[in-house]
Order: sequence, then structure tokens, then C-alpha cells
Amino acid sequence: MTVPRPYALLAEITYRCPLHCPYCSNPVTVESAVPSGQQADPTALRTAHATANNGELTTEEWKQVIREAATLGVLQIGFSGGEPLARRDLAELIRAAREAKLYTNLITSGIGLDDDRVRALRDAGLDSIQLSFQSDESSLADEIAGSRAHERKLGVAAKIRAAGIPLSLNFVIHRRNIDRLPQIIDLTEALGAERVELANVQFYGWAFRNRAALLPTRKQVDRARDIATAAKARLAGKIDIFYVLPDYYETRPKPCLNGWGQRYLTINPTGNVLPCPTASSAIPALSFENVRTRDLDWIWRESESFNRFRGTEWMPEPCRSCPQREIDFGGCRCQAALLTGNAANTDPVCEFSPNRASVDAVLRDVNSSSDAPRHWTYRTNPTSLAALL
Amino acid sequence: MRATTISDLARPSLAKGVRLQIDSTTGKSVLLYPEGIVELNETAHEILSRCDGRTLGEIVCKLAEEYEADSNALTADVRDTLSDLQRRKLIEFK
Repeated sequence: MTVPRPYALLAEITYRCPLHCPYCSNPVTVESAVPSGQQADPTALRTAHATANNGELTTEEWKQVIREAATLGVLQIGFSGGEPLARRDLAELIRAAREAKLYTNLITSGIGLDDDRVRALRDAGLDSIQLSFQSDESSLADEIAGSRAHERKLGVAAKIRAAGIPLSLNFVIHRRNIDRLPQIIDLTEALGAERVELANVQFYGWAFRNRAALLPTRKQVDRARDIATAAKARLAGKIDIFYVLPDYYETRPKPCLNGWGQRYLTINPTGNVLPCPTASSAIPALSFENVRTRDLDWIWRESESFNRFRGTEWMPEPCRSCPQREIDFGGCRCQAALLTGNAANTDPVCEFSPNRASVDAVLRDVNSSSDAPRHWTYRTNPTSLAALL
Repeated sequence: MRATTISDLARPSLAKGVRLQIDSTTGKSVLLYPEGIVELNETAHEILSRCDGRTLGEIVCKLAEEYEADSNALTADVRDTLSDLQRRKLIEFK
């Protein structure tokens, strides 16, 4: 099989975050991803750094990985987390990415972004910022974030505009905020963003745990789709609106990642390299390589984790003989693993999946029960990534 | 409608947040923007690499001169390419 080159790297530089959103896609429990070989690392300094940083890759390790990614063909890097601003070396990492000619995007809650920091990031060459919001006004937004964050985010958006950095907004849409879509779109306009993602929650990590409280009803989804379509037409040429459908309500699966190991890779805070950000928690049967023990080129081309679902050879029926197999790639491996217990199955969102009943059962439950909000569990920060160090 | 709306005096430039770059893996030119990458064909590359404050008319003249091509035919090509990129919000006119 010819191995393609990757285009984009998602750098999850820390899992620390001041917000506690119940739909976070970060792992619910962080098993230390540090490979056992790390203990035998002969570089005392490196081990000391790793311990000091709670197991996170050091500045120098990230800079090395960024250079390796550029050599491999990566053109874009997204700095994400957790909250990437929790790392004091963020500007230095952005500078390293720009030196490697990467397009740099910061995916942030905005908490911790003051005037000095915005300028430092801009001067380091940051190309674009994607700022998250939880809703359009404080009371609901702060309840969702589990933190008094909304007012501060409004201030941060203004600072980003003032610094002249292109601004995208991201709203994760779910049962509790989906009815506020018109107001959410108004806020996007008022803040002067160039683009907005209205992304219905996808069920991985904390969102999977909190699914019953987050999944909207069919009535809500239909209404939201109409509102998003109308807003797209109204704001064409002014704001790019990306409305991401809730896939449980679809009959065909999303073309996840445009195929496993085809265009994207993710590196988590401890240096594990993942074909998809949610793969480590959703697919426990798969083990992942770490940049501390292997170079990125080898991991991308040769590793078992990147080759397991590459191409179409791995596919079972009904995907194997399906004319859509090169279009949706059988959907999402993580979703297949979470809902059927086997990552190699057809994504059960697909109407041809023998497991579609598992999705329909969830929809039946959500659509038949009362509208009263259900309890959710807030995301907590991982207590120790360094447990195994 | 689309090909005739751009004036000869319009000055095309990359939109905010968009970068023109050579992809070192393929040697081809690409536009990079938030969450996206577009590979450019040769025509688009030749046009965009001359969008440095010049007007559309000046860009056409420059291309006609360099390629010894007919400027009327070129004008249509340049307008088509630029209006396509404008529709995708990758360039803007000043």
C-alpha cells in the first residue's frame, strides 16, 4: 500500500484546562501514555523535565517533533489541548512551527489570553485563532463550562480583533444550547469573527459518558438545521458558517478523518502519536507509539496503529463491497469501537450496519423522555500524567 | 455575471489569514487558511504571485508580456480564476 503524506498535525500540548465542559473529547481517565522505556532514558535532564511537566513533552521535544512533522509533509499545525495557553512556552512553539513553514492555528478557550500574550503570539507568527464559546450569554455558558468564563471570553475576542489576528469561533452544540442557535449566530456577528463552527457534539471522551444529557431531540435538530441553513444564506460573503450535523441522526456515517492515516495525525501531551485524537480512549485494543522512542516518519509509515485501518483492506461487509467505501471510509473507527466493542466494524450510524439498532435505541430513549435537563458529569483535569514515571 | 463584476482597476490580494506557499513535498503552490489547504493550478499560481498591490489590468498586462499571450483571452482567464477564489473567500479586492 502506498502511504500518503499527512497534511495537518493536531498538537495537544497539555490536558490541563481551566474549563470543565461535559462534552470534552479528552480521555475520561488518562492512563499514563508514557512508554515504559522512558524510565530507562539515559538523559537525566530530559526525565527531570518530563517529571516537572507532569509527563508532558518538553519545549525541546515539541520543537523536534514539529520539525519532523514538516519534513513528513505536514503544512498545518493546530495547537490544542486541554487549554494550550496553560503552557508558558506556547509562543516559542508557534515560532518553531512558523520557522518550519507551518500554518499555525491556536484552538483555545481564551482563558489566560491578556494583551501581552496576544501580542507575543502574534509576533511569534500565529496565523489564526479559534476561540471556543459555550453559549451566547453568561448564565448558561458558565453553567456548561463549569467556570465563570463567558465574560472573559468576550473580552478576549476583542483583544484578538485588536491584534489583527483572524478569528474563528467554535460552539459545541448540544441539547442544552441548541435552541439558542439564533442568538449564538448573532453573537458571532457582533464579535466580528470571520468564520464560525456550529458543531453538534460528537460522542467521545466525556461526551460519551454524558450522552443522555447532551444528545438533542429530533425536533431540536430539525429546527437548528433550518436556522443554520438560513443564516448561511444571509451571511454569505461575510461569515463562513460550518454547521456540523449530529451524526446519530444521519443515515450515512461521516467520512472520519478522510480515512485513517491519510491526512491527519495527533500528538497527545505525553508524546503518543494518534491517527485520531479520540483513538487512545475509544480503542483500548490499539497501542500507540511515542515520539520519545520512535521518529515520526516511522510512526506514520510503519506503525501498527497507523496501518491497522489504512485503505480498504481491513473492511468487513457491508463496507467491503459498498460503493461508498472510498467516500465515507466506513465512518468512524472510534464510534464503531464505543458502540459495538469492535473498531473494525462499520460505523453503526450507517443504515447498512448490522448494529444500527444500537444508535436507534439511544435516539428512542432521548426522544421519548421528558425535556427536563438531565445531570451531567463535569470534566476534571487529569491528576497525574506522570504516574508511571 | 461573475466574470464581469471585477473591474480592471480592482487590486486583488490574499484575504486575511490566507498564506501562499510552496508545498515542499510536491513543489506545487498552495493556499493555506484556517482549517484548510487548496492546491493551486499553474494559472492560479502565476496570477496570485503577482497580486502585490497591482490592479487586475496591470496583472493581465504583465502576464501578456511575459507569456507573449493575447491579453483579451488572458483577461477572461484571470477574471475567472480570481472570482472563483473570491467566492471561496481566499482573496479580496481593494
